[in-house]
Amino acid sequence: MFRINISTKIVSLFIFSALFSINLSAASWDVPADKKSKNSFIKFNDASAKEGEVLYNKNCASCHGNPSKGNVLKSLKPTPPDLASDGTQKLTDGELFYILNTGRGLMPSFKNVLSENERWKVIAYMRSFNKKYVQVLSNTDPSKSELVKVNMQYDAKSNIVTVKVVAKEKTGTVVLKDAEVILFAKRYFGKLQLDKSMRTNNEGLAYFQYSKDLPGDKAGNVELIAKINDEAYGELESTTKFKIAVPTDKPSLTEKRAIWNVLVKAPIWLIITYSFGVLVFLGFLLYLVLNLLSFWKIGKI
Amino acid sequence: MLEQSKKDKVTSDLLASIRLTNSFKAWMAFLSISLIVCLGAYVYQLNEGLVVTGLGDYVSWGMYISTFVFFVATSLIGMLISAVLGLSGQKWAAPLARIAEIIALAFAAVAGLVIITDMGRPDRLLNVFIHGRIQSPIVWDITVVTIYVLISTLFLYIPLIPDLKICSEKINKLHPMAQKAYKLLSLNWNGSHEQEQILKKLTRSIAIFIIPVAFAIHTVTSWLFANTLRVGWDSTIFGPYFITGAFVSGTSAIVIAMYFFRKNYKLEEYLSLDLFDKVGKLLVLVSLVYLYFNINEYLVPAYKMKKYDALHITALFTGAHALMFWSVQFFGLVLPIILLVFNKMRKPLPLLIIASFVFIGGWFKRYIIVVPTMEHPFLPIQNVPLNFKVYTPTLTESLVTLAPFILVLLIITVLSKVIPVISIHETIESLEEKNN
Ligand code: HEC
Repeated sequence: MFRINISTKIVSLFIFSALFSINLSAASWDVPADKKSKNSFIKFNDASAKEGEVLYNKNCASCHGNPSKGNVLKSLKPTPPDLASDGTQKLTDGELFYILNTGRGLMPSFKNVLSENERWKVIAYMRSFNKKYVQVLSNTDPSKSELVKVNMQYDAKSNIVTVKVVAKEKTGTVVLKDAEVILFAKRYFGKLQLDKSMRTNNEGLAYFQYSKDLPGDKAGNVELIAKINDEAYGELESTTKFKIAVPTDKPSLTEKRAIWNVLVKAPIWLIITYSFGVLVFLGFLLYLVLNLLSFWKIGKI
Repeated sequence: MLEQSKKDKVTSDLLASIRLTNSFKAWMAFLSISLIVCLGAYVYQLNEGLVVTGLGDYVSWGMYISTFVFFVATSLIGMLISAVLGLSGQKWAAPLARIAEIIALAFAAVAGLVIITDMGRPDRLLNVFIHGRIQSPIVWDITVVTIYVLISTLFLYIPLIPDLKICSEKINKLHPMAQKAYKLLSLNWNGSHEQEQILKKLTRSIAIFIIPVAFAIHTVTSWLFANTLRVGWDSTIFGPYFITGAFVSGTSAIVIAMYFFRKNYKLEEYLSLDLFDKVGKLLVLVSLVYLYFNINEYLVPAYKMKKYDALHITALFTGAHALMFWSVQFFGLVLPIILLVFNKMRKPLPLLIIASFVFIGGWFKRYIIVVPTMEHPFLPIQNVPLNFKVYTPTLTESLVTLAPFILVLLIITVLSKVIPVISIHETIESLEEKNN
């Protein structure tokens, strides 16, 4: 009976682990063909890999560990792969870039966290662990994005932010059609996305619904950031300051007297209690010393 | 009137211990060598850093802090015996007053040093004073421990003044320097009514004053834990829980000291069987109170089993710490209470053995309070080696932990060699009272 029990347990264990291993073996990423063949305009060399390493340690190492060391965060399901492993290195640059942009499940999207340059540099760092890798450089000219001009307008009546995207070529102004535009509000940590990501229409315009309850600084200022991503002109960001947010004045938590504050901002009741205790003790000590003194004097006579 | 011969006998009996014997020298040599070995371990820790201990980011308080809490606890015995029992007119405890004060002073003074062993950068100790914030219980703790050490010193010293005079006059073949020191410290004591009055007044006022101070030091020590939100520490009864626990380890310490003083210094007549019997009963009383607090402290969270509390409680009741937890409760508390109910068990030798169990159990009890909580933080511990999650003390750490115990023994031994461990002045006085 006991034996049977054990063997059924072992068998079921096997079945389970088999099921799990199927489940856990990284599902393929199904990257669209045009994205798959995308290449970096940044050259992968020691310098870019080094910059990528800093970004990697800050953004990726907590889950993926150090490449080639296998110290990944095993408590996650699916387990994040070691990015120096063959499986990952088989992916094209375009696929890696796509994965960084979209994320999946526990793998976060870095599209709005790292700039395009930064994402490529992280990939440069990952590639530095692959001796066989040979880079194919993209022929897009990254300096083209400098030609792009962004104009933001807010219309209070309709409560709409309009973003117009054009490029100032030598030959004249070109309207950017079908460029991706994402609108953010700047905040203390990172950016807050407003509305959905949009594409420009034939006039190079994209429209965003603004929410009136957005908190701003004391004067009601808010900085809106438009992030543009265009096939021909690449990626760029443009910031404009508006005075359209709700004025907000929250005193900092360390402004008033508090338990967690520095010594000079200790709560009054605490200062009084503590000082009172110490003073009572010092007074008592004085009382003892004076008495011992008269004790000593009495004996001298 | 008491006959002079009787007075002389008391004096010579109680002064007999103040003399350099061979066994004393051997014992001191043994203590000194052990201390040097342990200090060697500390120097090693100082050079290498706390990495040579089992402490880390998660369990940052281990044996050192347990020892600190234990020492502060044990030092409360001075307050219990001399102040609480003294003020409430328990005359039988009077012969224990000085021993209790010696123990209190030794443990309280060394407790401060134990904290330093837990510091990775003791060279920055001064920063605690320069940049300390009075919002932090650590600063209150430093304040009250310092005050307690000072008050305990005076509590030992002031009633000792008449005896110091006796020492300077009655000890044979005293080194002239030592005689001078005794005389100087006796502050011109001449036995006059006036001086006697001052002495009584001061002793009494210290006895009153030391009660809130002693309560403060151990309550504040408990607040180092209870003023956090962590499981096992986030408790409203930690103050009284610590105080009652302090009486248990303090009383067991005094039993051990009594036994050895009686034996080695031939004080059978003064540390009588009756005294052992009474202290044994006192130990039952304080242990029962502490047991009650223990039941309350563990039963209430165990009944509710809140998510994180449950983790902690299960580790104690049935998990990794179960063996230590139940041994401490049983051998350190329940069994001693049961045994001590019997008359025979309150004789010196059995009482010594039982008190030793209680004393050692007391140390492990502090360990059980400090370490398991540290192993159960609210944020999950991820991606670290096993030895970060589970605390295992190292050999170096154990040696460094032994050092304060040896130091306490050294202090107690030396003090008991330079002053009579039972007050001569008060013994004669009480004999006179009985005579009248
Ligand atoms: C919160 C944890 C986490 C962080 C942070 C993280 N990843 Fe991931 N990553 C994962 C997980 C989990 C997977 C597996 C996802 C899946 O297969 O569904 C993954 C998968 C990947 C893959 C696909 C690998 C393959 O072989 O399939 C790449 C490439 C990748 N991550 C790169 C990065 C980079 C570069 C960063 C930092 C910029 C990063 N990740 C940050 C958790 C993380």
